[in-house]
Amino acid sequence: MARTVKRWLVLLAAVSLLLVNAVPAAASPAPYESYNYNYWQEAVPSPDAYLPQRTISGSDLGIGEFKDPGDVNVSPSGQIYILDSGNNRLVVLDSDYKLLRVVEGFMMDGSKESFNAPGGLFVDEEERVYIADTGNSRVVVLDAEGKLIHTITKPESDIIATNAQFQPLKLTVDRVGRLYVVAQGVYEGIMQFDEHGQFIGYVGTNKVERDYGEYIWRMLSTKAQRAQMVLFVPTEFSNVDIDSKGFVYATNIDPGSNEPIKRLNPSGEDVLKRFGYFDVKGDVRFRNNPGPSKLIDVKVLGNGMYSVLDATQNRVFTYDDEGHLLYVYGGKGNQVGTLKTPVAMEQSGDHQLVLDRGKNNLVIYEPTRFGASVNEAVALHYQGEDTEAVHIWQEVLKLNANYDIAYIGIGKSLLMEKKNEEALGYFELGMDRKSYSVAFKRHRREMMKEHLGTFLTLAIALIFILILARVAVKWRRRRQMDREAGLH
Amino acid sequence: MKQDYIKFPLHLIFHPIEAYWDLKSDNRGRLLVAFSALALTIIMMILQKQYAGFLVNYIDPRTINSIIEIATVAVPFFLWCMANWAVTTLMEGEGKFREIFLATGYSLIPVILIYAPMIVISRFMVQEETAFYYLFNSIAFFWFLLLLFIGMMTVHQYTVIKTIITMLLTVIVMGIIVFLGALVFSMLQQLYEFGYNIYRELIFRT
Repeated sequence: MARTVKRWLVLLAAVSLLLVNAVPAAASPAPYESYNYNYWQEAVPSPDAYLPQRTISGSDLGIGEFKDPGDVNVSPSGQIYILDSGNNRLVVLDSDYKLLRVVEGFMMDGSKESFNAPGGLFVDEEERVYIADTGNSRVVVLDAEGKLIHTITKPESDIIATNAQFQPLKLTVDRVGRLYVVAQGVYEGIMQFDEHGQFIGYVGTNKVERDYGEYIWRMLSTKAQRAQMVLFVPTEFSNVDIDSKGFVYATNIDPGSNEPIKRLNPSGEDVLKRFGYFDVKGDVRFRNNPGPSKLIDVKVLGNGMYSVLDATQNRVFTYDDEGHLLYVYGGKGNQVGTLKTPVAMEQSGDHQLVLDRGKNNLVIYEPTRFGASVNEAVALHYQGEDTEAVHIWQEVLKLNANYDIAYIGIGKSLLMEKKNEEALGYFELGMDRKSYSVAFKRHRREMMKEHLGTFLTLAIALIFILILARVAVKWRRRRQMDREAGLH
Repeated sequence: MKQDYIKFPLHLIFHPIEAYWDLKSDNRGRLLVAFSALALTIIMMILQKQYAGFLVNYIDPRTINSIIEIATVAVPFFLWCMANWAVTTLMEGEGKFREIFLATGYSLIPVILIYAPMIVISRFMVQEETAFYYLFNSIAFFWFLLLLFIGMMTVHQYTVIKTIITMLLTVIVMGIIVFLGALVFSMLQQLYEFGYNIYRELIFRT
């Protein structure tokens, strides 16, 4: 008997060893650490949302290495345009990353013109290419065949100083052809041009943040000292993008700002929703890494989501339309997937692309199961399909039990279905006090409705019994007295 | 028993001026009551952090530490008593240390009486009603301050102005005590290090 037990134990041990070997400890295949911030603003490890798939360099395409590439843009039809600034050319790829053509220049007034250190580009729905030709102080607009439509040079206007330079860096175009240009040294805001290249005006200005210490110091100093002080001017925008509704997303690199991302409505006001637990500004806590994030590019992904590219830690932060941080990927380094000097980011299908000037290549990131699920759930929530989103949120929670947004998403769906009591627990896990309060209010009212009747019945019955008892006691006492008096 | 330990403290918080005088002249204060008030205040502080409703509780549950909670109430309490005794002795106060201790301890009673129900009620509040929670917490605090003020005034037989001045001085002296304590502690530590280094030198040289 003891021998069989022993034999079984040995067998069990052997099998368990085999099983341990069968499932290797899964190391993250990403060369960077993914994380997300929890309610207490701690960076908590998270599954990777995007993984690097491959990189594309100029020699992979057989056209010679890129040199200081400046911008990348994906046209609505899926073609990928890379602005190879150092080589003054435009490289066009199809959606499978195969080379389509290279644009070296264009014909203007019968002579061949070329670019000079162009900084930004945008491709609209009709495959018209807008290029911010920084070195030549102009914006070039080409049609789908590469023929010149028109150029925009320094606008003549009362509100622009005559000696000012016009050096466009980044640009975007809305559906009716209005052009939004971020130019170097322009603090007044984003320059807006109409579809014929006429200057309209500025939209959205970064406010100067007044520091009270500085203010007092200025009051105390003499005129000569004041003349030597730094002038406080608003910061410039670093990049622009536009969403399907015509709202302009803009980033600036003001290190002190808590609102480096702006969503500008047509009258230039910032209407970005910031309902998350912390500021929409990339990294919110810097213990091991230096300083705030320096956001240099923004890309609208659709369904209210947008990604921003941080040049301090070389990471991509993605937010949903309410300002919740969805996921973070990327990092500094030399492996495939980490970045040296990122300059621009884009989306092509479900891939995300980051252009790396330091390594002269384009990095292609692919969503993981986690990333794809989050994207899908956020999209469903944005479209109002909260009940359908619940299954996907539950899937997300299996992959990352620390994902607050998933708890809140499930809670909101339960609230919609009037399952108030169940929703309470989810809101508490997601630390959403506002929704918790709504759910609790309804739950409390339900409890009252359900139990107030019973409670009141019991109370009235009790009072009735008490009165009866008192009357009975009185009646008996009187009877007793009467009897003693011999009345009966 | 019931008269001194329950009825008198409850009478005191509503009629502080005459009750503090009774406490001093008729010797009706009980050390047990003062100590229990301190202990219960500490317990209420811990309970509030742990069990107050989700909508008013912004404490990270991982950071609650009972030892630190005890220290944050008890240390200032005893420091106050000591500093106040030191100040008022020099400023012709009539209160003995025991009376200062009793007056301070008794003035904590409203905090306990308000915190306990508010912890329970806060669990049934929605966002709009949390204002009442904060209101009652502030009432508890200001009631405590008022009782402390009247207590000090009665115990030392001071005028209003003099009470305010001595209370402010007490706070300053509390700071000085903390400073001196830290200084002595750091000097002792250096002394110990010095001795230990000499010992080590001797050991390794032989």
